Amino acid sequence: MRATDKRAQPIADIVMPVSSHSGRSVPTVRWMTGLVVAAIIVLGLLVPSVLKSTFYLGLLINAIVLGIAAVSIGLLAHQCGLVMFGVAGFTGGATYLFGIAVTQFGWSVTAAAAFCLVAATFASLLIGMLVVRARPLPFAMLTLALAQMLRSLVMITDFRSVTGGDDGLTMNWSGSFFGLSQAQLNRPDTFWAVAWLALCGVMLIAWMVGQSRTGQILRATRANEERMRFSGFNTYMPRVLAFALAGFIAAVSGLLMALHSAFASPELLDFATGGNALVAMLVGGASTVSGPVLGALLYVIGQDQFGASGHLELLTGLGVVLVIVAFPDGAMGFLRNGVRRLLEGRHAAR
Amino acid sequence: MLRVEDLSVTYGSVKALDAIHLEVAQRGALHGVIGPNGAGKSTLMDAITGRCKPTRGRVFIDGQDITARSVTWRRHLGMSRSFQRTSIFPGISVGEQLELVASQLGEGDLRGIVDTLELSSVYDQLADSIAYGDQRRVDIALALVGKPSLMLLDEPAAGLSATETITLFEHLAKVVRERNVIAMVVEHDVDAVFRFCTSITALDLGRLITTGSPAAVRSDPRVISAYLGTAA
Repeated sequence: MRATDKRAQPIADIVMPVSSHSGRSVPTVRWMTGLVVAAIIVLGLLVPSVLKSTFYLGLLINAIVLGIAAVSIGLLAHQCGLVMFGVAGFTGGATYLFGIAVTQFGWSVTAAAAFCLVAATFASLLIGMLVVRARPLPFAMLTLALAQMLRSLVMITDFRSVTGGDDGLTMNWSGSFFGLSQAQLNRPDTFWAVAWLALCGVMLIAWMVGQSRTGQILRATRANEERMRFSGFNTYMPRVLAFALAGFIAAVSGLLMALHSAFASPELLDFATGGNALVAMLVGGASTVSGPVLGALLYVIGQDQFGASGHLELLTGLGVVLVIVAFPDGAMGFLRNGVRRLLEGRHAAR
Repeated sequence: MLRVEDLSVTYGSVKALDAIHLEVAQRGALHGVIGPNGAGKSTLMDAITGRCKPTRGRVFIDGQDITARSVTWRRHLGMSRSFQRTSIFPGISVGEQLELVASQLGEGDLRGIVDTLELSSVYDQLADSIAYGDQRRVDIALALVGKPSLMLLDEPAAGLSATETITLFEHLAKVVRERNVIAMVVEHDVDAVFRFCTSITALDLGRLITTGSPAAVRSDPRVISAYLGTAA
């Protein structure tokens, strides 16, 4: 963490290392990290050319959609100490917004996508202004209540012509989304690039927030809000912004769902749908941006394997309990700690 | 200058503070507030700093009425405080939290605060992993950042040994003198207060008994009977 005030810089110079343990300068390490990340993004785009199975590619896309929703929950949990039970309101809400824009307004797919992201973010900004002052448990329940209200809203008979009611909303659109037709978006191999780039973009945004001064303020507020206020900080607006960003990220997940499946149903707004993302976040761990994504991948694979056994709920429950009890920091926390111990062991051996 | 007029705080039927009038104006010196448990010392701090809302009365800084202002606003005006229960940022290093607050309040001499309070050795450590005495000094350092004109310290030596208390008060007296701050200290350790403070206010059951020099307060019969006993 660096002080932004130049006058405070000298003391920052004392604590900021000028070189890493390996002897490389910090800018060099950053460049190398950037190159590795860029390589991962490019290599990720090549997955469909390696993984030919449509089924497993579809599974990975499901993991990405779930992972992005889990990143949204993880962002709030890690930065603000707030757990959102009602993420389905933002993911499913965005799916419906997109669907209504293309079916009712007749908008192009790109305009509808932009509309659903902007509207969902604006809605989450307003909702955030109402709920971020609440303590963690009331906050969780408030977000859940909002999602459930939205679920009831789309099922109201008077709105059936717009939302499709219990039957859901089937979407058909003409035109293309960055050169991809509806049929291509529906196919896992051609949709993959959209999902992968969305995931990378969302993770990059969440990581940048964590590195930013706003991220510092959020974490310090989570640690001791009263001291933050007595240190001259506004502790409200940063949390509202974090909530709006979480809403935006969740909306990206909902948009991907809409683009890929071209269908919205009330189940998308159900607690169980948001619960999947919540469990994925817990399994992967919220302390890193990649934790929820890893959790989503494990969750989707587990669901597939457990489903084949015929005891999906039982085995899912057991698996989740085991992972959370055995790895309190999540699967990513376990991996990070293991790698750190390995590196420290090698360092000590030298 | 801090001025408190007719300050009262009531919790239900209990008067925690009852019509307190007080002025603290001397810069670069410690003003002590003493009193037994339940005297209203911490409530006085809370009411002055905006942590609790006074039932009646007003608080002025340099003639400006700040009674209705938020704690954040007061901090930017120059009023800072430490807490009876150490209030630091757990899970964040000492340096990180000091730098964050310094950047917010425009502190130009963070190194001076760190050196004066002897925090260099724990600068890179997580604040909740260091010794309790060091945590108390981090709490005070957080209050010192931003060159406050008025600093209120609520039992800064709570939980410290007699030796640590003396060391802490030496640090406090030095830093308050160097930074020319008006400092008000609530403290249970009466010996330390009489030794390091240049003026003292005594409270009992929410009421102000007396204010004056250590010698005058020490010899006041009401203070002797109420707080210090015959040993004083």
